[in-house]
Amino acid sequence: MTAILTRTAAAELIKLRSLPAAVATALGTVVIGVVLTAALASSAPSAAPTSTATDAVIRAVPFLQIGPILLGVLIVASEYAGRQIATTLAATPDRLRLLAGKSVAYLVAATIINVATLGAGLAAASLTIPVRAVAVRPIAGAAVYLILIGLLSLGLATVLRSLVPPLVIMLALVLIVSPLLSGYTEHARWLPDRAGSLLYRPDADPTLGTVVLVAWIALTASAAIATFLRRDA
Amino acid sequence: MTLRRTVAAELRKTATLPGSFGAAAVAVLGTLGITIINALSVRGALRAGQPDRVAYTSPAEAVFSAVPLITVGAVILGVIVISSEYTANSPDAGGSRQITTTLAATPHRLTVIAAKVAALTVHILVTAAITIPACLTVAHLVIGTPFAADALGSTVARAAGAALYWTLTGLVALAITVLTRSGIIPLIVGIVNSSLVSASVLLTHVTSLAYYLPDLAGMRLIADDQLGMFEEALDPLTGALVMAAWALGFLAFSAVVFIRRDA
Repeated sequence: MTAILTRTAAAELIKLRSLPAAVATALGTVVIGVVLTAALASSAPSAAPTSTATDAVIRAVPFLQIGPILLGVLIVASEYAGRQIATTLAATPDRLRLLAGKSVAYLVAATIINVATLGAGLAAASLTIPVRAVAVRPIAGAAVYLILIGLLSLGLATVLRSLVPPLVIMLALVLIVSPLLSGYTEHARWLPDRAGSLLYRPDADPTLGTVVLVAWIALTASAAIATFLRRDA
Repeated sequence: MTLRRTVAAELRKTATLPGSFGAAAVAVLGTLGITIINALSVRGALRAGQPDRVAYTSPAEAVFSAVPLITVGAVILGVIVISSEYTANSPDAGGSRQITTTLAATPHRLTVIAAKVAALTVHILVTAAITIPACLTVAHLVIGTPFAADALGSTVARAAGAALYWTLTGLVALAITVLTRSGIIPLIVGIVNSSLVSASVLLTHVTSLAYYLPDLAGMRLIADDQLGMFEEALDPLTGALVMAAWALGFLAFSAVVFIRRDA
């Protein structure tokens, strides 16, 4: 079973690597991460005298999450752009294993991209402002958050079987709805990105936030599995 | 004559896109929802006798601080009007793209672009004409303050300014999508820059020239900026002209590209 899953995941990784949009997403995320953190680090001092390189990276996370969200959508939506899904299912008829393979492929790709982005961003910020100390915990939390939020968009794209709707829903959620709502009601902290932000806020306990975010992912994944197993491709 | 028929065709095509239904739903229902939440918090503060607890107390503010959502609606509409032409059909249905049919029916490409622009403008203005009065009414009902007659002029001016801002935003999104032929990049740029973590706002920390970017130039058309966060922003008339110049520039460039390249 493990060997077969490895093969499916490897196949998905090859497909992902040969997808121009996915490669562009990966490179774009790293480049934007570097430019953004450097800009944030250089423009920070007046507002926050105690700013560190870590702060600049953390403040870039709301933008950086676009990368994994797009990657999660692309890995599913590219199957439905033509009829590639028919070929994929002919090669891997076990649909649960296909979803698992896609998730593993996403996790591998997202880990590489996000660690590279955060590392490059940290380096860029350190070159811009004098480094006092690099807090490891928020950066590691940011990496985990970025990987998880893309997993949520992968699940959503599996349910919706298309590119634009899940992309718009995820971006509107994390960039517009959740910041707007958090201004009015404290209940906004149960939204996936608000809960997940506890992972990378330096002074917060990440446990409950992680549980809430994982619960959102589990919910979306269940819906994705249920629909993907039951309906026609 | 051809233009009139082409506009009619594009209007129908735009109206029957599933995505434009979604965009309209985001614009109308989303804005309405945020307006209600805004108005409820204003009412709560007023009833508690602490009007300084909220940043504003007027119904108009409750409506116009919900604009990011309707801007997103305009961006989505501007993008899908073009990107739907370039999406391939299912191979079971021939695997072709709608743009080939469109250009077979209307070979004159400038007419196609002009008709798209007209159809998008009409759709955005209709959405604005429904959303703004509906939200203002709801905000008045919820907050319960009597309608201030002296504020009528400024409210109408802001509503017209907001409609202009959304139209120009939609046109910029349309023009960029003509260049990219795929909706991904214009959607991301458009949604990021309508959000509270706009990349353009970040740029203003680096240089005040960023206030001349298309999304920030027109911001005074809508925002009253009571918090004084954007003191260097262009005033409404200049901003509208700068934003219109951006939109026309993008449209002219993408029209030239659209006319010269293969579909």
